[in-house]
Amino acid sequence: MALKVEIVTPEKRVAVVECDEVRAPGVQGGFGVRRGHTAFLSALEPGRLTLVQGGQETHYAIGGGFLQVADDRVMVLADTAEAREDIDVERARRAFHESTERLRSLTEQDQNHAMEAARVKRAAARLGVAG
Amino acid sequence: MPSLRDIRRRIGSVKSTQQITKAMKMVAAAKLRRAQDAITRARPYASLLEQALTRIAQRASAEEGAGHPLLQARPARVVELVVITSDRGLAGGFNSNIGRRVQRFLVENADRYEKVLVSTIGKKGRDFFRARQVAIRKDFTGVHARLSFEKAQEIAREYAERFLSGEIDGVFLVFNEFKSAISQKVTLKQLLPVDTGPAEEAAGVDFLFEPARDRLLRDLVPRHLEIQVWRALLDSAASEHGARMTAMESATKNATEMIGALSLQYNRARQAYITKELSEIVSGAESLK
Repeated sequence: MALKVEIVTPEKRVAVVECDEVRAPGVQGGFGVRRGHTAFLSALEPGRLTLVQGGQETHYAIGGGFLQVADDRVMVLADTAEAREDIDVERARRAFHESTERLRSLTEQDQNHAMEAARVKRAAARLGVAG
Repeated sequence: MPSLRDIRRRIGSVKSTQQITKAMKMVAAAKLRRAQDAITRARPYASLLEQALTRIAQRASAEEGAGHPLLQARPARVVELVVITSDRGLAGGFNSNIGRRVQRFLVENADRYEKVLVSTIGKKGRDFFRARQVAIRKDFTGVHARLSFEKAQEIAREYAERFLSGEIDGVFLVFNEFKSAISQKVTLKQLLPVDTGPAEEAAGVDFLFEPARDRLLRDLVPRHLEIQVWRALLDSAASEHGARMTAMESATKNATEMIGALSLQYNRARQAYITKELSEIVSGAESLK
């Protein structure tokens, strides 16, 4: 029996699939989940979520969130999640440049710093997945 | 006794009103379907998040008491009601039910809290309290015009900050919970402090947390708040359309009845007129004999 994976965002359910392996960007480093993984709850960074099914990889760009594993069921609570074909590359590129620009003028103490940094990460994740 | 022309004019006016109510009903039905979809789509995330949060929070509180300041209840002196109504009327009792519920809360809890603040989301609620001279702390505008998760986040963040800074000790959401297309329930729900149910002994498998549990709670709890607000907004939107649909449906029905009654009256009046005319002719002819 394979892993049951469910990817949901606050606005909709993105995917319910079965696969062999999940690779996710944890806040303390990327990790993979296969069958028999221990019960686990992790926060996720903006980045690439990969589902592997029979050697085939499917990629999603996620904007941070949480991942829970219990009894071979993986639940991904993502802030945003887009499959490769749903990514608006133009918009991500623009967001990436604008935020990088703004980030340069901010110090780390600035309260907008974290927000802009997160935006850069999200945009980078989208661009990375879109290829 | 109104003249034939008067009756005819009234029938015409009722008919055009009926056309409007019929159209509004149809629009509400279409919007309702969309709003219902949004609720269904938001449900899995909300329930999974709640599960995860409950699991961690209960375990944390079983060990060392609430693991997060937003979970920490304290004696409530100042509480705030966030009242969600619609921007538009013609939705039956949708908005006035909410208004009444809030007034009841204010009366019943007058002694319990030092102060109860009221904030509104939606024009109708604002107008309701303004007309009754109830002070409104803040009116969130433009939330319904374009419902988005970001708006819910802003609102949730603001309340989390106010709660943490000690300005307020509790927050309640008042909104119409969506039961079905024809039924809405006025609901008063505690938003802050977050209630995760009774502490229970850690049961079942132990979870591995990454990062550490309390750090994770720091991310989970605010997200949970945002979702609560988001769901209340979605429920309210769906309820509004449901209520409007029902209201317009019965308005259309009333109009049909009214047209029936007026038509009857019109036909009677016409018959009476004809009879009168006939008898005049007959009596005229009679007198010539």
